[in-house]
Amino acid sequence: MSLPSNEEIARAIVDGDAELAREHAEALVAADADLVAAIENGFGAGIREVGDLWEEGEFFLPELVQGAEAMKAAMTVIQPALAAGQGEGRSRGTVVIGTVEGDLHDIGKSLVGTLLAANGFAVHDLGSDVPVAAFVEKARETSAEIVAASALLTTTMTVQQELVTALAAAELPNRPRVLVGGAPTSPNWAEQIGATHAENAMRAVAAAAGLAARGGTDG
Amino acid sequence: MADLLTRLRNGPCLLLDGGMGTMLMERGLPQGDAPDRMNLDMPEKVEEVHRLYVEAGSEAVHANTFGANPARLASYGLEDRCDEINRRAVAIARAAGPKFVIADMGPTGEYLAPVGAGDITRWREGYRVQAAALIDAGADGIHIETMGDLREAMVVLEVVRELAPDLPLLASLTFDRKKRGFFTLMGDPLVDSLNHLLAAGATAAGANCSIDSGDMAALAAEARSAVQGPLVIQANAGAPQLIDGRMRYDQTAEAFAADMRAALAGGLAAIGGCCGTDPAFIAALAELP
Repeated sequence: MSLPSNEEIARAIVDGDAELAREHAEALVAADADLVAAIENGFGAGIREVGDLWEEGEFFLPELVQGAEAMKAAMTVIQPALAAGQGEGRSRGTVVIGTVEGDLHDIGKSLVGTLLAANGFAVHDLGSDVPVAAFVEKARETSAEIVAASALLTTTMTVQQELVTALAAAELPNRPRVLVGGAPTSPNWAEQIGATHAENAMRAVAAAAGLAARGGTDG
Repeated sequence: MADLLTRLRNGPCLLLDGGMGTMLMERGLPQGDAPDRMNLDMPEKVEEVHRLYVEAGSEAVHANTFGANPARLASYGLEDRCDEINRRAVAIARAAGPKFVIADMGPTGEYLAPVGAGDITRWREGYRVQAAALIDAGADGIHIETMGDLREAMVVLEVVRELAPDLPLLASLTFDRKKRGFFTLMGDPLVDSLNHLLAAGATAAGANCSIDSGDMAALAAEARSAVQGPLVIQANAGAPQLIDGRMRYDQTAEAFAADMRAALAGGLAAIGGCCGTDPAFIAALAELP
């Protein structure tokens, strides 16, 4: 059986075909193919195209969610294989993610979590309505470099600020950076509270990569 | 009721109110709690906000019922009090003395597949409970607001029309500005969506929330050029910022009104403000010709 090409892999993601994406992943794993290259040039290229089409206004939430689901289906197969083959795996960093307390909006946050996992981060998703203390505890437990908090309401975005304050007060050894997102948030808001802003799920991946690269040295 | 219908159809442009949630936060709404609960716990605060809008020039105020559908109330353990919350809200708004009380019907917060597990049949049942309470309580009209999915707006519209075929009914979706134009989160395009709502029985159709007054003026121009029928718009006051420890939106009332002047000149049935707007914004709109 021939291996799927990068174009075929990307197409499965763009089409939101979870079953086909998983089959491609299984074929790659069975053939002991270069999984990192496949993530970067196949699956990753697909999800980047989904993001581009979203920003262009060609794709909307249903297509975005289906693309992310296809990505997740493939990564469920690939990540264990990667980890098994490479001991520690190739985690780019550890992220604790959740929607803040009082806010039940789950979709954007889950999408960001999926994309971060797909891009090589170890992701701990705490769900929605997450108390500040739970974010801090999980960050401590996992030695996370990044804590990502979503808020979709003007009434809950202030909790993002509380999170930044609480994390600073906790004085965790590697001083995790805070990534914020959600409809009412803005770069200006993030700057005001001492966090980094992600405009959308695709930008969140780039922002997380930037934060992880800077490391926890607190410059 | 006939008054409001005539007004929306024949003008002059009806002046609505501005933001409610941000005003209630300043008056003791606990962080993360349901604004709709304040109809039960702090009715005097809700009435005060309505009154400030009436004093600023609002001819119609929205009753504090945006989130008072059973699905959303369930997130706060209030689903069994849907009828009571909606009835009280209409009475509170009436007590503030506006010319018209327009009841507010917002989204469930659920999404249809493939995004979520929303169920149209259940939505219909829930919205029927809310709409029946609002109509029975004597609301002069209903405004369906902030819908990111045309299909959900249509569910509410159909429910209201079954219960009250002649009630003034405004329907606003919330649009983002994309490179190809204005679309809802689900991809519903501006002009087709508004025409669809009007054809299905909305008295007026339009847009609220998500975008600031500049983008909303552009949206109004595009809609006005291609939609035959009464239009309603309510922009946000920009984006929220933390200023002196308080949540504020970054547009001024003057800048907001300047953008809306052009939209008004194009012809609107109703205009107001959404998130971050307050009575000063309505007063600024009231001064426009």
